[in-house]
Amino acid sequence: MSNDKTEEIAGSLHRLERAVLPHLEKHSAVSDIIAASRMQEVEVMRALNWLQNKGLVKVTEAIEELVVLGENGKAYAKTKMPEMRFLNTVKNKPLPLAEIKKAAGLNDDEIGASIGSLMRMKAIEDVAAAEKTFRITETGKKLSDGGTPAQRFLSRKFPLKVNELSPEEKALVSELKKRKDVIREDVVKNRTAALTGPGKEAARKSLTSAQTVDQLTPEMLATGSWEKASFRPYNLATQAPRAFFGKLQPYREFLEEVREKFAALGFEEMTGPIIESEFWNMDALFMPQFHSARDIHDAYYVKEPKSATDLPQQLVKKVKSAHENGFGTGSRGWRYQFSEEKTARLIMRSQTTACSARKLASADLKIPGKYFAIGRCFRYDVIDAKHLADFNQVEGIVVEEKMNLRQLIGLLKLFAREFCGTDQVKVVPSYFPFTEPSASLYAKHPQLGWMELAGAGIFRPEMVKPLVGRQAGVLAWGIGIDRIAMFKLGLNDIRQLFSHDLNFLRNARVIA
Amino acid sequence: MPTITFSYSDFQQLLGMKIPLERFGELLLLHAKAELGKYDEATGEATVELDDTNVPYLWCVEGLARLMRNVLGKQTGPATINLKKGGYVLIAEESVRSVRPFIASFVAKGKPISDYFLKQLVQTQEKIDTGYGRKRQKISIGLYSYKRLVFPVHYRAVAPESVSFVPLGFERPANLSEILEQHPKGKEYGWILKGFARYPLLVDSKGTVLSFPPIINSNFTGKVETGDKEVLFEATGTDEESVNLTAGIFAQNLAERGFDIYSVTIKYPGTTITSPVTRNQKEKISAKAVEELTGLKLDESELKVLLRKAGYEAAGGYATPPAYRADIMHPVDVIEDIAIAYGFDRIQDAPLTSYTVGGRDKAATTINSIRKAVSGMGFQEIFSHILSGKSTLRTGIPGGGGGEAVHLQNFMSETYSTVRNSIIIQLLEVLSGNKHVDYPQKLFEEGIVAAAVKGRISEWRSLALVSAHSRADFTEMKQYLAALLAAAGRKFDITPAEHELFMKGRAAVISVNNKTVGMIGEVSPELLSSFGIEMPTVALEINVGETLIS
Repeated sequence: MSNDKTEEIAGSLHRLERAVLPHLEKHSAVSDIIAASRMQEVEVMRALNWLQNKGLVKVTEAIEELVVLGENGKAYAKTKMPEMRFLNTVKNKPLPLAEIKKAAGLNDDEIGASIGSLMRMKAIEDVAAAEKTFRITETGKKLSDGGTPAQRFLSRKFPLKVNELSPEEKALVSELKKRKDVIREDVVKNRTAALTGPGKEAARKSLTSAQTVDQLTPEMLATGSWEKASFRPYNLATQAPRAFFGKLQPYREFLEEVREKFAALGFEEMTGPIIESEFWNMDALFMPQFHSARDIHDAYYVKEPKSATDLPQQLVKKVKSAHENGFGTGSRGWRYQFSEEKTARLIMRSQTTACSARKLASADLKIPGKYFAIGRCFRYDVIDAKHLADFNQVEGIVVEEKMNLRQLIGLLKLFAREFCGTDQVKVVPSYFPFTEPSASLYAKHPQLGWMELAGAGIFRPEMVKPLVGRQAGVLAWGIGIDRIAMFKLGLNDIRQLFSHDLNFLRNARVIA
Repeated sequence: MPTITFSYSDFQQLLGMKIPLERFGELLLLHAKAELGKYDEATGEATVELDDTNVPYLWCVEGLARLMRNVLGKQTGPATINLKKGGYVLIAEESVRSVRPFIASFVAKGKPISDYFLKQLVQTQEKIDTGYGRKRQKISIGLYSYKRLVFPVHYRAVAPESVSFVPLGFERPANLSEILEQHPKGKEYGWILKGFARYPLLVDSKGTVLSFPPIINSNFTGKVETGDKEVLFEATGTDEESVNLTAGIFAQNLAERGFDIYSVTIKYPGTTITSPVTRNQKEKISAKAVEELTGLKLDESELKVLLRKAGYEAAGGYATPPAYRADIMHPVDVIEDIAIAYGFDRIQDAPLTSYTVGGRDKAATTINSIRKAVSGMGFQEIFSHILSGKSTLRTGIPGGGGGEAVHLQNFMSETYSTVRNSIIIQLLEVLSGNKHVDYPQKLFEEGIVAAAVKGRISEWRSLALVSAHSRADFTEMKQYLAALLAAAGRKFDITPAEHELFMKGRAAVISVNNKTVGMIGEVSPELLSSFGIEMPTVALEINVGETLIS
């Protein structure tokens, strides 16, 4: 490496590199360098890594194998191993096994291991007797006094380096490793760092050379001192910490796109309250008050206040008449006693059709007109991967003087193209209490396959006449958009649409 | 939606022909508003899910087969019964009028009831009791072994303690109050009779109890068994038409199973009717009305063919639905059946004929600008449920409703039991669930919140921001507030205030044009620690409608 090159490198050193360099002249073990420099371990390691990449330092990693004591090993070092305790109990006279076990305080495993080991060493003998009895041998007596090789080994100072063990000790290690938690082998990394030739040169230069500059400052710009400064070139490959920018929630953005799409298709947006009266949510839709969807187990009822105070009383009378006798539409009506108390009852909106009812009854209804609403609805449901208690519904109406089933099918096919990207559809009859005829749209999504995409129909005359004040054709539809949302967002659990997992939200792909 | 299970070979036998299962599935979708569920290869049983809650005659294999006979041309027009007279009399006494006024009945005699058919009868009974009968409140059905009864039968209301009998499932007699208290069915359906001083009872001429409608039959007479050849059917309820319809459905089913149906004369105080009632109201159907609603151009003879395919009687421009249907209220109901008989799969679509100008809600554009501005300040948007559990404040944020949180009367889970009255606290929940995630955590949400103010519901749109990191302080949040309101061309004031959310001395109300619109402050350490949040957090919440939408 040329002298100039070394100088250039010395000038470009990072603050951390310059801090580490002087300590390398005195220390080689990384742990010592960390202690001497009073730097953080990560800082020292980063600096050494950079210096090594520049050829100034050689970092060596020596792997050292150690033998360390386990929990039982530590105990045996203090209180003796089971075979030693065994020998001690039979030292003076032969004893039956049960007594040995009791006197030496050994469990079944330990007794087994001791007998095996002591028989191999010929330290004990089996006395032929009715009850299994052992007696100590001469070898055994010596071992009892001087300790077994294993016992002596355990009393050494641990950890021991594997490469310093004698062949006998190595054999003991492999024997003891078989026993539970006596000893085990560990591997540790010992890192040392040494300056290379250019490194020594650079260390010297870096200490003596003119100060290099890390950062351009406003003062330098103001005073012009930047002209004489030498700026340290960055290592541009360094990993930068992650930055997070503010993101819009992907599901809400999806709903916004759907809203824009409806606007583009000529639909005007409708809104309405989420806490609704049964009147707007159900009665105005000609759903009879005894309908099962109005059960306490299907809709959420508000505890307090119980009733709406702002119902349009004249309209309530007309709707009541539609339920009871058809309101002069040529219908027999549902033929029951309509309750004005029940109609005022407050519930959580269970369907955005409530918005359609409000729009049909409003003074600014345009005929012809197209309207849509995307709003929060609430159902008394067990929450799981497919059901939410609180979800968004997409719904709308098309109003003209007259509307027919062929047009409804045409509209449904348009939705299949726009929201499912498919011309493969099936339109089949369906049932809703407020539409007649009613239809369901099945569409073959290119990836998801056949799915029920929409429910639709033509509002019944008993619903339209009281709200609009006269007969008109109203196509009504609702689209199940959440499965498509989940597909687009790559989700398989509907609960994730409202996810509170910040990692998920921060990492969500928002640029198509 | 009712789901029924039946033997597919039984269905084909009733149909009078074999059809592949797949074809049956298509026909269910196109003609019955129903879906074929699973088919069990081992037992040969098919499951069908029915979508139309208003046509209970289809909730049984006999009804489905009947419809399909019409669809496939095995039969045209309605199926009818040749009703026989047996001189059976049932006396409905004045006393039931206030409790459960209506009853319909007939006697069926024929061949021994098989184990399979008995199960089908029970299934049909249960589906109608539960669904169409509104858990037996509106209708409940009883079937009896005819051989043990002596006509005339009396339908009357009695004092609860005055009569005892052995109900099904019991071995000892019990009076009506005891049945409501002790019998499983009494506990399940007792609510229907709550508040009545006398309960309905069916007894025969010897005083033997048949049943205690709508709760339980007697163990002696009210048990139909395999091998029985004669049964008495009865349906009681609160709606005359529904009761008659139910009897009509069962009579038709039993007739098609080879039973002779004998009418029962029901003597109400002052009137007498012959049950089951087989009349039905006719509707005028014109080709013009059909074209208007369906877009299909059909002449009178085509209409007649389609009506008969749909099971109607058609004559002289009128359509009469069969006795087993009571869902026809208006000619549109008939016209839908014509379109279904024509085949939805054959109907050509047509375009809409008018042009309209689409557009967003007035507030939507402003709200989206706000969302973009706040995310531009580095905030991650959150989208939460509006129903929440603990995420409600005792006192709402000033500037919002400021009233009581709105609780649900019936909730399934505590987690979704209250309408949120603040968004800040929901964002604190998010912080609490993401303690392991990199800080700073800057979050925001815009959405609907609600409260009850003086007995009225108030809903408004709220915007909340939180910033949590080691150096989060009041100044930071005030900077965001100032930047946001400046971007909206609004001036604001802040006045020191106290609130359960914030630290004393580090919270203020925000006002715009002298109107309180929200609060800003450092979240109190008590609250942070109750959420387990270990980072200083600052927050603001403002009423968007009052502040930013003009």
